[in-house]
Amino acid sequence: MMGRRRFLTRVIPTTFWVNIVIRSLSRNAEAKTIENESYKVLTTTEAETLAAWCTSIVSGADQAGVARFVDENLAGDQAASLLLLRYLDASDMAGFYRNGIMGIEKECLHRFGLSFARATVVQRMKLVEAAIASETQVWTDPDPNFFYFISRSDAVDVVYGTQLGFVDLNVPYLAHIPPPRSW
Amino acid sequence: MTKISHDKVEVVVIGSGIAGSTMAAELGEAGFTVLVLEAGPERQLSDMISSQIWSRRLRWAGPEVRESGDLVGAANFAMGWGTGGAGLHWYANWYRLHPDDFHVKSLYGRSLDWPIGYDDLRPWYDRAQSYFGVSGDEDTNAPPGEPYPMPAIPLSKQSQAIKPGFDAEGLKLTTNTLAVNSVPYDGRTSCLLDGWCDAGCPIGALANPLVLQWPRARKAGVELRHNAYAERVETDPSGSKATGVVYLDEQGRENLQPADIVISACHTIWNARLLMLSANDKHPNGLGNGNETLGRHFTSHALTTIHGLFTQETEPHLGVSGANTLCLEGYEDKQPAKGAFGSRAWLVGQAAKPNDLLGTALAKPELYGETLDAYLRQASLHYGNMTVLCEEDSIPENRVTLDPSKKDRYGLPQAHVQNSLPQANASRLDLARTEGLRIFNAAGATDAWAGQRNPMHMMGGTIMGDDASASVTNSYGQVHEIDNLFVAGASLFPTPGAINPTATLAALVFRTADYIRTHRSELLP
Repeated sequence: MMGRRRFLTRVIPTTFWVNIVIRSLSRNAEAKTIENESYKVLTTTEAETLAAWCTSIVSGADQAGVARFVDENLAGDQAASLLLLRYLDASDMAGFYRNGIMGIEKECLHRFGLSFARATVVQRMKLVEAAIASETQVWTDPDPNFFYFISRSDAVDVVYGTQLGFVDLNVPYLAHIPPPRSW
Repeated sequence: MTKISHDKVEVVVIGSGIAGSTMAAELGEAGFTVLVLEAGPERQLSDMISSQIWSRRLRWAGPEVRESGDLVGAANFAMGWGTGGAGLHWYANWYRLHPDDFHVKSLYGRSLDWPIGYDDLRPWYDRAQSYFGVSGDEDTNAPPGEPYPMPAIPLSKQSQAIKPGFDAEGLKLTTNTLAVNSVPYDGRTSCLLDGWCDAGCPIGALANPLVLQWPRARKAGVELRHNAYAERVETDPSGSKATGVVYLDEQGRENLQPADIVISACHTIWNARLLMLSANDKHPNGLGNGNETLGRHFTSHALTTIHGLFTQETEPHLGVSGANTLCLEGYEDKQPAKGAFGSRAWLVGQAAKPNDLLGTALAKPELYGETLDAYLRQASLHYGNMTVLCEEDSIPENRVTLDPSKKDRYGLPQAHVQNSLPQANASRLDLARTEGLRIFNAAGATDAWAGQRNPMHMMGGTIMGDDASASVTNSYGQVHEIDNLFVAGASLFPTPGAINPTATLAALVFRTADYIRTHRSELLP
């Protein structure tokens, strides 16, 4: 049975931080067109959080353009999507990423009182490990472990799954028909 | 709503994948006027881009499927979308069901029997392997049949690294049988073994519908209509004859395509769903569902992949996506231990690129950061794998249904698949996992680990049978009570065995096409 102290620490801060995050993301959505025209579905803040999260998992994912990879494919027709998520749950792909990013922020605020962008490398690693172990405290939807799985795949795609990535790993690409661009 | 009406054809086939395109080519060459309806867009060989990222466009992009149970997932990965369907990204593993697989109920008192036996299907397996072009050597653990038309693809470095483990276990590892050309065959070139099979094979060394069936079908005058999503099969007022197919076109308009013979050749889930969506006052629960069997006895294969790192270089990026080698020894033993049931087959040495579901990175999903980078650099040179397929009992509780509370993008009830692995089959998989780790350790792997349990392949749901009260079709895929309505595909399988289904699917198509050809006068008005 959950004690009153634990209830307070779990629920009140959660509600508090959720409201902050929602307000923050909502403001970001409204300001999106002003802040940055280059993302089509994600807000700049969402894209930055996703890029930082993916870079914690696969070094170089931000520089390889993981946020733009996700964003551009969410903006297009599902049939043309290059995202691995389409294999496993294509019902609301944009909502999946948005909610996942919100979950990262919620968890980060809950644990460290910081946005993910301001978290230290060690704090970011703790969040990644919590997602891997399904031990997040306030982030529940989408399943953090599954979000980790998908976002890690996205990061692996852009860093290791391109022709340049193959070169970096010393894997001969040997294309029949080379891709027109990385993604 | 007013439907757009089209001129009647003799045969309309729903689905342009391996089952549909093979059926269309066969019946077109037999002189029938044939139209194929494909839900997805037109595909060209140029769409087969060598990239795990870009090839995702070949996969399913139709309505979502709701999945529940402990052996589901990745339906969208298995299915295709557009000309050729899943035939554009299949792995070309080519195996025959074993004689016992057809009689599981009689022999073991569980699962089901097929209405036919191995000997009934054997000539059609022979025909299919000649038609598709199969490379392989004789394997005494495989069922009898004609010699394969091409020699086997040689052992890869992955297989060479793993083989000592099979030797130590006293198991025979053989070359694989694949619908991939080891030498030029039937006007198609031989394989370069560059490991891009599941991104599509634009050179045509792997038998895919764009290079095999569709050139034949088009030459025979078969028409292919894209972006035509079948909504239902219509029957006459008596309910005893199919009269055509209603489909939605790209603009969402209803079209009526009249036909003398209707053949549903969709992927497994959609064959069952289409018959359910076709319910009418004479068939209130769907066509072929007078006995409530439609949708039931859905099956899959339970798999686990054994991964390992070896001291020698294994060139994991090379070879074929399917498997380089195979172990069928022990397949016949469906009761390997108390409480465990089902056959198993080892598919060894699948080509692996760094990314995607079957890539080396996802072999260790828990790794991230520098540890992941270090692992990938090692795995790119030293990785090896093998996958075990295990049989799932065919039980009525595992099924495809319609979920009327949820509509798909076309406004039709969503398909729902429920599939949970019976305990005896799960125990069988556990034995195989232990065996696999033993093999890798005996082969000298410096690190060996087992992946999670996953499903592969989808079968059943419109099962064939002699007893119309317990099946949906007869052995030719002819729907009970509606003689001119046929089903083609793995949805017909009463039991799945433990091997990839395409060779059996193809053999059944040839058998059904022959039935339609030889019963032409009875089936056409």
